[in-house]
Amino acid sequence: MPEYSYIGKRMPRIDSLAKVTGAAKYTADLKFPRMLVGKVLRSPLPHARILNIDASRALRLPGVKAVVTGKDTYGEKWGVFRYTQDQMFLPLDKVRYFGEEVAAVAATDEDTALEALELIKVDYEELPAVFDPMEAIAPGAPLIHDDFPQNINIHVHIEVGDVEGGFAKSYLVREDTFTAAEESYFQGEPYAVVARFDLDGNLEIWMPNAGPHMKAKPLSNALRIPLHKVHVRKIAIGGAFGGRSEISPADFICALLARKTGRPVKIVYTREENTVCTRQGHSMIATIKTGVDKTGRVLARDVTCYMDGGAYSSTGPIATSVPFLCMEQAYKMDSVRYNGYRIYTNKPIRGMIRVHGRAFACGVDTQLDMIAEELGMDPVEIRLVNAREAGEYTPTRSYVASCAMKETILKAAEKARWKEKWGKLPKWRGIGIGCNSVQTGFPMGIRGGSQAIIKFNEDGGATVISGVVDNGQGNDNMLVQIAAEELGLRPEDIQLVTADTEVTPLDPGAYSQVSTFIGGQAVRLAAQDARKKLFQIAARALEAHPDDLVARDRMIFVKGVPHKGLPIQKVIRMGLSQGISVAGEGSYWPKVDPKREWVQNPYGQMCEAFSFGTTIAEVEVDPETGKVKVLEVVAAQDVGFALNPLVLEGQFQGAVAMGGQGGMLTEYHFWDGGRVMNPTQLEYKVPLAIDMPKIHTIIVESVDPKGPYGAKEAGMSIAMSAAQAYSAAICNAIGVYLKDYPLTPEKILKAIREKEEAGEKTHQ
Amino acid sequence: MSKRIVKFRVNGEEVELAVEPHWTLLEALREELDLTGTKEGCSEGVCGSCTVLVDGAPVRACLTLALEVEGREILTVEGLGGPDGLDPLQRAFIERGAVQCGFCTSGMLMAAKGLLLENPNPSQEDIKRALAGNICRCTGYIKIIEAVEEAASLSPTPIHESR
Repeated sequence: MPEYSYIGKRMPRIDSLAKVTGAAKYTADLKFPRMLVGKVLRSPLPHARILNIDASRALRLPGVKAVVTGKDTYGEKWGVFRYTQDQMFLPLDKVRYFGEEVAAVAATDEDTALEALELIKVDYEELPAVFDPMEAIAPGAPLIHDDFPQNINIHVHIEVGDVEGGFAKSYLVREDTFTAAEESYFQGEPYAVVARFDLDGNLEIWMPNAGPHMKAKPLSNALRIPLHKVHVRKIAIGGAFGGRSEISPADFICALLARKTGRPVKIVYTREENTVCTRQGHSMIATIKTGVDKTGRVLARDVTCYMDGGAYSSTGPIATSVPFLCMEQAYKMDSVRYNGYRIYTNKPIRGMIRVHGRAFACGVDTQLDMIAEELGMDPVEIRLVNAREAGEYTPTRSYVASCAMKETILKAAEKARWKEKWGKLPKWRGIGIGCNSVQTGFPMGIRGGSQAIIKFNEDGGATVISGVVDNGQGNDNMLVQIAAEELGLRPEDIQLVTADTEVTPLDPGAYSQVSTFIGGQAVRLAAQDARKKLFQIAARALEAHPDDLVARDRMIFVKGVPHKGLPIQKVIRMGLSQGISVAGEGSYWPKVDPKREWVQNPYGQMCEAFSFGTTIAEVEVDPETGKVKVLEVVAAQDVGFALNPLVLEGQFQGAVAMGGQGGMLTEYHFWDGGRVMNPTQLEYKVPLAIDMPKIHTIIVESVDPKGPYGAKEAGMSIAMSAAQAYSAAICNAIGVYLKDYPLTPEKILKAIREKEEAGEKTHQ
Repeated sequence: MSKRIVKFRVNGEEVELAVEPHWTLLEALREELDLTGTKEGCSEGVCGSCTVLVDGAPVRACLTLALEVEGREILTVEGLGGPDGLDPLQRAFIERGAVQCGFCTSGMLMAAKGLLLENPNPSQEDIKRALAGNICRCTGYIKIIEAVEEAASLSPTPIHESR
């Protein structure tokens, strides 16, 4: 391993200072002269035809500057894919969920804007609504979109090998059904947008986003303005977790109001709007059938999954596939069939969230535990038998170049003292393990590469120009670390111009594990390009060959002779005075199979690398209340190479909190028809500081051949495996395999009671 | 409704504002004084992002009316560092990696400051309890707790004179 100056070091993040002093500006903090307040009128019905909208009274209210409805739009429909374009940002025909955007107001202050909303009169013809995916798919159910029969938004069908033959050969076959409710992101920052136009018709827009370029394109389409006139600006972002990758109707509405009024407009969502009107995680019913041989090796698996997609398609084809993909990566299986159905209902729109399918992931792992018990095996043992290994192909034909899944299992088990504890813990205590895998550098058929530019200042400092956005995970610091390392400069010498669609070249965004692998790679290549140019200039002055030079701590020198070097600042000035450009350019495009498509052809190289993670949790269940106390968690992940262990530990810990502590114990939505009954943090319980157990983090490095410095995704396969480990530990503690997630005290208590009653009956 | 005048001190400076009677302290700080370091996360006193100190004690600025702080001393994140630079809490948050998206950070820091003013040598359990009203979605709290422990061990904050 080369000796790095900054890569691989525990480096406090460069963005922290602005955040601890309150100087960092988030969207809602922006203020411009003559700025108006925008508010959105939302549907009070889950399914209704819009007959008429009368805004005349609202427009007469002093202070109201504009009202927009579907009639102010071009009627463009949004969809992540061409074949899923189904959502108008201000619908003309009908509303499909409680809370959908119907009209919007811009006024001089918030009170006036809210008053104006009440003065807009909308005539609806209420339509029959459907809230349950199995009812929505049944014959005769009301159709939510005319062109999607049976309300089936997406059907992903994957079939590999001989599934029935595999079951026939199996020593043991099990079929179980697992279910999970919806969950929400609850990002710290509620959604907000600020938009303004200049006299040349350029749109400037700020919003929490996970990819400025991914926002600009649909905005350009919906507003019918050229892409180069949509300037999504950089702003501090209060979290994403998968929920801010797509355009939001608020982006479009805010721009529309700004265009109509000729003034800056700010829309800030309430916490309830952030929950109901952005995205949620899918609820899911997963039926999993698995056949194994006597050693516990999986010979065949058949999974059918019904996902409640809500009113619109969002990332439908991706969301329908990823739960399956994670598990086909994590575990070997020769023959496999998957049928994933994403079904429309009259509920809020579902998108991608950190744990892709609790019912799927926990289902596969719970069933492995059940099989292990029947075979007299230990859960760790059966996972080692089935764990993915480097050099293999996944069933859908992605080559896995680097993989340390087994190492994560072994290291986690050792740290958790699994052998001492499994089967030996006192009553109501339990231990459980979960394994998962996540895609890295994942174009998804909707995005591609990243390009970066490095330019120098005469003082020896460098500016990195890159489309990579930081929505909380530390991407800005990652770019600085890479640039400083490659250029031989110090982190404080690096300036960032990032996440701005006017200035920065194309980038796929910072969602679905792509920033380091693709955006970071582009910055690395740009820095190497710039360094090469500097070396050519320095080589002449030093009378050396460029290949013999190194750049370190602001100096360029011949390898091994650091005292006879040239300051980088001087080399930059030499370039300037000699008329030689020293700016660097880098471009990285992920090498995947371009023919792979989510529905039409779900086979071929999907992405370049995969992360692998194992979590082990130990819990204690109170048999009187059903409450779970988590005693200790071990999280081990193959991250390829840890660029910054300090940041990675934070990712692991946050992943345990969201995936395990929240995702498996408390987080779910409950409903009255299509209405979310717990849209705020008062009723939707996210983990608090007092809830957190001791977490041991273990970084495993497989050094991926294609990742920058060998790095892969970090944290996601912990979030997912944490959900699985928590579930397994609770099942182990109470001696019942639970199949409906999350595992709330009521469900745990019910299972304990039922088990006791069954026990009494057998004794009678 | 007509505006009323309220006087109080923010980060050591006297301010006089004309506010609507229904305006919260949060609105007054963010909209009138441009102290946007204090964040609005839930508007109902649950998330803790708007935590500021009123006479040294942490309060929810979103649940406090501006008129209620007449004559009081308010400390926001912008005033946390003194003339000598960062507060030990701010330094520890940076060095311990306790900041991710940063949206909860101001509130966390102010809640932690309130704790250390009252109890300069808190146990880990004390810290967890003091921060239990502040929601963080990114970090899993571990590094935040470590940072507060470190700040407390580095420089025990003297008990605030006004308390």
